[in-house]
This record gives sequence, C-alpha cells and structure tokens, in this order.
Amino acid sequence: MRLEKTLKLFAILIFTLILVACSNGSSSEETGEGNSAAEEKQTGGTLDVAYTSEPDTLDIMSNASSPTRDIAWHIFETLVALDKDFAVKPMIAEDYSASDDQKVYTITIRDDVNFHNGTTVGAEDVVASIERWRLVSSVGKVASEYIEDVKAIDELTVEITLNEVYNGLLDDMAAPKTGLAIIPKEIAEEAGEKPLVPEQLIGTGPYQFEKWERGNEIVLTRFDDYSQREEADWGGLTGKKEAILDQINFLIVKDPQVKLNGLKTNLYDYAQNIPTDLYEVIETTPNINPVTYINGYSMITPDKSEPPFDDLKVRQALHYALDKEAIAQSTYGNEEFYEMDGALFDPTQTELYTAEGTDTYLEYDPEKAKELLNESDYNGEPITIMYSNNNEAYKRISQVAEQQLEEVGFTVELEPYEWATYLEKWQEPHNWDIVVIGYSTRFSPNELGFLVQDTGSSGWYNSERWSELMTQWGLAASSEERQKILKEMNQTVYDELPFLKVANETTLDIMSDEIQEYDAWIGPRFWNTYKNE
Amino acid sequence: MLHYTLRRLLAIIPVLFIVSIIVFMIVHLTPGNPAYLILGEDSSPEAIEQLEQQLGLDKPKVIQYFDWLGNIFVGDLGQSIYSEQAVTQIIVERLGPTFSLMVISMLLTIIVAIPTAIFIVWKRNTVLDPLFLSGSLLGTSIPEFWLALLLVLGLGVSVPIFPVAGYIPITDGLLGWLHHLLLPGIVLAAVEVGLIARMLRDSMLESVNQDYTKTARGKGVKESTVLMKHVFSNALIPTTTVIGVTVAGLLGGTVIIETIFTIPGVGQLLIDSIHRRDYPVIQGVVLFVAFVYVLINLIVDLLYAFLDPRIRYD
Repeated sequence: MRLEKTLKLFAILIFTLILVACSNGSSSEETGEGNSAAEEKQTGGTLDVAYTSEPDTLDIMSNASSPTRDIAWHIFETLVALDKDFAVKPMIAEDYSASDDQKVYTITIRDDVNFHNGTTVGAEDVVASIERWRLVSSVGKVASEYIEDVKAIDELTVEITLNEVYNGLLDDMAAPKTGLAIIPKEIAEEAGEKPLVPEQLIGTGPYQFEKWERGNEIVLTRFDDYSQREEADWGGLTGKKEAILDQINFLIVKDPQVKLNGLKTNLYDYAQNIPTDLYEVIETTPNINPVTYINGYSMITPDKSEPPFDDLKVRQALHYALDKEAIAQSTYGNEEFYEMDGALFDPTQTELYTAEGTDTYLEYDPEKAKELLNESDYNGEPITIMYSNNNEAYKRISQVAEQQLEEVGFTVELEPYEWATYLEKWQEPHNWDIVVIGYSTRFSPNELGFLVQDTGSSGWYNSERWSELMTQWGLAASSEERQKILKEMNQTVYDELPFLKVANETTLDIMSDEIQEYDAWIGPRFWNTYKNE
Repeated sequence: MLHYTLRRLLAIIPVLFIVSIIVFMIVHLTPGNPAYLILGEDSSPEAIEQLEQQLGLDKPKVIQYFDWLGNIFVGDLGQSIYSEQAVTQIIVERLGPTFSLMVISMLLTIIVAIPTAIFIVWKRNTVLDPLFLSGSLLGTSIPEFWLALLLVLGLGVSVPIFPVAGYIPITDGLLGWLHHLLLPGIVLAAVEVGLIARMLRDSMLESVNQDYTKTARGKGVKESTVLMKHVFSNALIPTTTVIGVTVAGLLGGTVIIETIFTIPGVGQLLIDSIHRRDYPVIQGVVLFVAFVYVLINLIVDLLYAFLDPRIRYD
C-alpha cells in the first residue's frame, strides 16, 4: 500500500519534470526563427556569453589579459580610444591639442559624462586616473617617464606637460589593454596600486557591473544614464555605443563541446574561443554563425644571451632551416585561420602596417642553413625548445620545427610545460634555447612585449639599433615619418632575428543567428548589437 | 560512546597536521609562481619581486608554513591570492553546488541500488543474477566523461529535455535546481549504483544461508521477511562503509562532471586554483576535503553501533 503511494508520487514527479523540461525546450525553439535583417530592432533581453577563462580582475588599467579586456571594456571607457581602423579618436575627451613644441597636451572633457555611481566626469577624476595609470599600467609606466606634470586647468580641461617630445602618449592612453580608463577620483586614490575590487568597478561605459559569482558568472546590466557619443561610423572602442540589451551574462564555460551544445540548444547566445577544427561543424549548423578575429601571431624566439643563438649566424641558420609555410599549414590547417605575413603589425592596422622590410620572411633554404651551421661554433649540442602545452598551436609548431631543425643538423629536445611552470621557466636563460609562443594583436611598438630589451620575453634581445628606433618612434610626428620607422623596424627584425615570426593567427567565436548587427573587431563587444527573439 | 567519539575527534588533529605538511610541500615544490601569472608575460623582474614580497612569497618556506598553520588554529585559512576573498568563504560558496550534486547522485544511487540488490538476492537462482553481475560491472567500468557526453548528446541536444550545462542554486527554485542537476547526478550515480548494489548483494548472499536464516525459515517465516529483517540488516554494515567512502570521494572527485556540466563546485575550484597557483586556496580545499573525509569515516563508525547493537565502543 505504502509502496504503491510512493510509486505514484515518484511517477508524478518524473512526469512533471518532463513537462517542465519540454515546455522549456519548445519555448526556446520558437526563438530560433528571427534571422531576416529586415526585422525591427528589439531592445531588452539578456545575452548569455560562454566565456572560456575567468579574468583575475576586471581592472582594465592594471591587467593586460584578454579576459579582463573583453569584459571590462563594456564597463570602462578611456579618455581617447581606437576606432575601427585603429586610429586614435576622442572618447570621454571632447577634443585634444598639443602645443607647438609638442610638449604640452591640452585635453577637454565632454560635458555631462556620467559615472555609474551617479557623479559626472570632471578634470579632477581624469587627473587622478592618469596618476593611477602611471603606477599600474604597463603602457602607463612607459608614458610616465615622459610625463612631467598633470593638472586640471578648469572643471573640464586637463593639461599634461611632458619633459621631452613623446608622440606615443595618445597611443598609450588609447591602448585597448591597460589604457587610460577614467574612474572617479575617490576610487583612483583609494585603490592606488592595488587592482580594483568589485565595489570599485565604476566606469562610464554603456554597461555597468552588477555582480561576480567567482567560477560561475559575471553579470553586467545596461547603464540607463549612459552619455552616448553620436559618431556612428567610428567603431572600435569609440563613437556611438548604444546599450540595447538589458543584461549581459558572461558565464565561465571551459569545454568547447559544451559551448557548441549550449548554442545549439539556446542555452548560450555567444561562445568565445572555439577550436578551429570545429569550423566545418559550425558552418553546417543552421542557427549558429562563426565570428572571426585577428589575434596577433605565433613566433619562435631564440635565447640570445647564451650559445648557440647568441651568434647571429646560428640564428640565420635557424631562419633558413624553417619552412614557415609548411609549419603554418600543418599547425592551423584551414586557411581561414592563418595568414603568411611577415610584418610586425596586422594588415588591417593601416596606421601601423607596412610590408616593407619583410622580404626575407619566407626564405627557406636548408642547404644554406647547413653551411651557416658549419661555419659557426655549434657542434650538435642539444638545444631545448620549450612551449606551453595549454596551447595546441604552439605544440604543433614545436613538433614540426623539431623535424625541420634536425634535418639541417641541430639536435633538438622538446620540453612542454603547463602554463604556470612555463612562465616561471621562461625568465631563466639556462632553461631554454628556443621558445614557441604567440602574442595577441598589439597597437603600438611600445606594446611589443617580445622585443622589450633584455627580458625573458624577448629572449634577452639587446640591440642599439632597435632602441634607437624606439626613441625615434616617440619623436615621430607625421604618418610618413612613422611609416619610415615601421619599415626600418621590420628590417631590423629580419636582419638581427630576435624572433622568427610564424604566421598571423585568427581566432574563432560562434554566435546564435538571433544576434543582429554584431560587428567583429578584435574581441567580443556587445554594444550596438541586439537579439531578435 | 561519548568518550570514544571525543577520542576519535581528537585523533583528527594529527591526521590534519600530516595532511597540512604534505599539501604545503607539494604545492610549494611545484614549479610556477603566482606572481608571474598575475603580472603576465611582459612583466619586469622588479615588478615580480615586489609582488612576491607583497604576497609574502619571498619569506622562507618554513616560516610561510608556520604562519599558515598558526592561522588555521584560529579558523583562518588565509585569503585567495587572486580575489582576496577569505578561503573559508570561497569554499562555503562552492560547497553548495558540490553538495547538491552529492545529495542528488547519492539519492539516485540508493533508490536504485538497494531495491535492485534485494530483488536480485530474492531471485538469486535465476538468470537475473549473472545479468546483474555483468550490468554492475558495466556500470562501474563506464568512463564517467563518456557517459556524460553521451547523455548530453542524447537528452540535451538531440531530444532537449535537460539543459546541457549550468547550475541554478536551490534558493532560485527547486525545479530548476533539479532540472540542471539530474543529468550529472545520473552519470555519477551510474558508477556508484554498480558498486553499492554489488556490495550489498554479496554481503546479503553471505548471510542468506547462515544458520539463523535457516532457523527463521524453519520457523515458517516468509522469505521476504527473512530477507528484509535478517539478511538485509546484517548486510548493511559493509554497505554503509562503501556508501561513506563514496560520499567522501564525491566531495573532491566530481571534477570531471563539474567541468563537463560547468557546475561551479569544489572540484572546479581546486583545478582552477592549481592552474593559477593560488596556494592558500589549494591548501585550504585539500585540508577541508581531508577533514570531511575523516569526519565521514567517524560518522560511519558511529553508525555501526546504531545498525548493529552488538557493536559497542566503550
């Protein structure tokens, strides 16, 4: 009798569960139809984004990682920012001008730019933000050496005085990572060198910080008092930014298969960082669209502080021994996701790109490599290629490079490490002879971390020629002058071989076809976009 | 009994002390350094040194250990290097999902395993017994991740009855909570059911032909009563042990399932913290899991006395 009752109860429970599940399923299926562009723009709705790695902090000024940037640029805005062509445009600033001797910058701030806490941006906030930026940002520290004084002239005007001419100032302030985000004065002073804690995440962006459940999700909501610019054609990180969605949930989802399944079943609207192997699956799935971004490039960096690669001849042998097209082909497979280009910047970065000086990029001549090796002091001592096994691409590049190097007479050992171990080993020259690594897209020569003199990241590169070019870069005023320097920079890299570029990388995200007017740039940005449900 | 319990509780201290030494050593001898991770690839050696100083990582290891140990005695497991949250608070936050998963999978396991085992013992001389044996072997041998992916494809994608991933706290609605946890619960239960049902069947079969059961049958007691009253009660002791160990194992052992279903539990926390070299969190979680493990074992021991009146500890 009692058993019968229990069974009945259990059956009812199961039945209700199935009912609930089915009703959920069908309601989300109905939403999968809106894909004609003619439909009306819908305000509101929640966007669920499956994001791979949880940021350590959302302090965009101090942390240069992509997860921090991709989420925090919805919350914070910079004084000046990059447009879609990577040119510097005003953002919170109304206008800016430099004095005739180029040592005094006067920046006026837009009237009535609202912070998320209800106050408006004044010159004092900008001054305090600059002071903090000089302390915590990697590009801010570079700029800081040239900054003599920052002061507020009136409520909405700030004056920056330099100790010598430095034309990189605006680029540094506009850097998408660790750029000069404007935060309220009290918060800037309270935080100082420490990263901003969640309660301090007060910016001026179209979305505001709502909550952060560690390990689970970060929630942003629309900022109703957002002070919008009007320029609809600027793009990038400035111009018109309209917050159309009510809420954006960044959910931490690591597994690519889960992301794909989640998009198929409408659990997520957008998923970031999908292995390119899945591209064909995605193309054939009806309600999912691929999104691609430029993502810097992969490189092979020799340790120039110790034998054998302290000798330029051995580095040249390395250069001639590597068939980069073959490496890229077997690493990336699909041609949509890599590009053979030897320049320091991406072709889409019109202000920074030049192909000049890269003629020798694809030279491949194993015979010449053998000759050069014979002429050098290298006698077959084993060389170590170190890489992080968290990244499939670096692993494949290392493996193909190993084969190609052994063909010309190098003896090679591969040493894969997990990322944290890799980072530590990287800083000691005796741990490695070659590392395989990638760098995300950079927006100024100051940000080329793999060429910073005498550091592990650059393989202890020491070059007067390069340092001189960096100084010239700071002085160059016109676009022509800059192009000349950029060409010379390319040439220096191919003459001195501090690193060997493999190929430009493209990364893959996926989104539901409900998302409209989404504009891919260098990372996921969800203003000016909406969902048709 | 009270005396025994107190003695056992005191014995937890040396166990945890040894665990603390081992976990501290393993964590700190592993290469990698949180300062490099926080500052990223372009950091300068000076910045690294400064941050290490701030984090107290430049102090000698022995001093770091005793600082940590000293704080544990006052209930302070330190704070995360990354989020600066207290480790105890982080563990409490992550315990909800893991605990929910444990409860659901254990309930499913017990609901399925115990009746199945009893039924099989009842039908012990039929073809059902060998079928059950191979079935339970299959259950314990199936790789969790494979079963999980299969169920997700079947019941999440092809026939979308269940969500493919995610977690909703029970405070946000019982149905949503259950709806999200049923699939991962089934996967975990599949493994445990095989183990526990098999264990129960074996120990029941052992007593099925004992003298006291024969006597009971001789007295004319119904077979069902014999099984339930005499055989089942006696078989509960070893089964309780297995259930106890399983529950304790689930606390740290749900990593794979938590990853596949993106459930923000203790297992995920541990893995993330290891990748980040968040020393205080790794140490805190391991110590906490060890503590719960010892505690569950103690509870199981105390349950013996309850289940079998012949067992007395004093």
